[in-house]
Amino acid sequence: MTETASLQHGIHWQTARQLLASALQVEPPQLDAEAAIGRTERWDSLAHMRLVLVLEEHLGRTLTTEEMLALESLADIAAFLDGAP
Amino acid sequence: MTDWRPGRQLKLQTENYRLRSLTAKDATDTYVGWWNDPEVQNSLGFEPRQWDTARAAQHIRRFDNRRRFHVGIFPREQELPIGFISIFLEAEQRALTNIVIGNKDYWGRRVVIEVRQTVFDWLFNDMGVFKIYGKVNARNFPSIFNYKAQGFKCEGVLRLHGRGFDGTRHDLLMFGILRDEWQAKRQEEKRQEEKTQEETGQ
Repeated sequence: MTETASLQHGIHWQTARQLLASALQVEPPQLDAEAAIGRTERWDSLAHMRLVLVLEEHLGRTLTTEEMLALESLADIAAFLDGAP
Repeated sequence: MTDWRPGRQLKLQTENYRLRSLTAKDATDTYVGWWNDPEVQNSLGFEPRQWDTARAAQHIRRFDNRRRFHVGIFPREQELPIGFISIFLEAEQRALTNIVIGNKDYWGRRVVIEVRQTVFDWLFNDMGVFKIYGKVNARNFPSIFNYKAQGFKCEGVLRLHGRGFDGTRHDLLMFGILRDEWQAKRQEEKRQEEKTQEETGQ
């Protein structure tokens, strides 16, 4: 099982997908499992800003610099939510 | 690609924009407005400057078009710039750049990526630069996106290095890319482009 496939079974995969879709202003089914910076056209600079802000709103706290820097794909977001305090 | 010689205006073209070194005459109300705009300056981690045209012209004159460039970004067929990119050639074949899109209608329209692609090609291919780097406030998420999208690596976090307009301290990030990394990325982009053209029959 690939890392991405493994993450799809994580408890936060759908949440990650919904949050990213919200930031990219698309419907969740429009996002494929490999969505990432440089691969997903709708993932532009303003979408990236919205992504960080929706994640902070979801968690109710500010992301650390290290957490924010790790967000480069849907899989990264799911992995982050799986491990987030 | 360009007929630039030391001391002469730098002129480059991208698909959608003309780039040319600004002169003191370009210190228009529009240009000054970017330095005084809280939203533009706060995104960079600065307070609005409260400049007038004389102060802005003084700033532009500091760029000599030899080692320091202050280059306006003009949409084709338009007389007023929408922003600028500053370039500082340093020792050891390093270049520091920063870019500001002052016209908010152009935010989120990939101007930064398009402009930097042309400027970085010039720096690496024509100017013999080995490494390009930049600094960014850790809360400037659009800028961080642009660095990542162009293959830059975050090389360092200067903890709580700066203070934002609201008084809170923030980390400063150092992003860098080496010539080999840039050229490999550009070749891969060209391969992808050719593949897409083959698939679409264009």
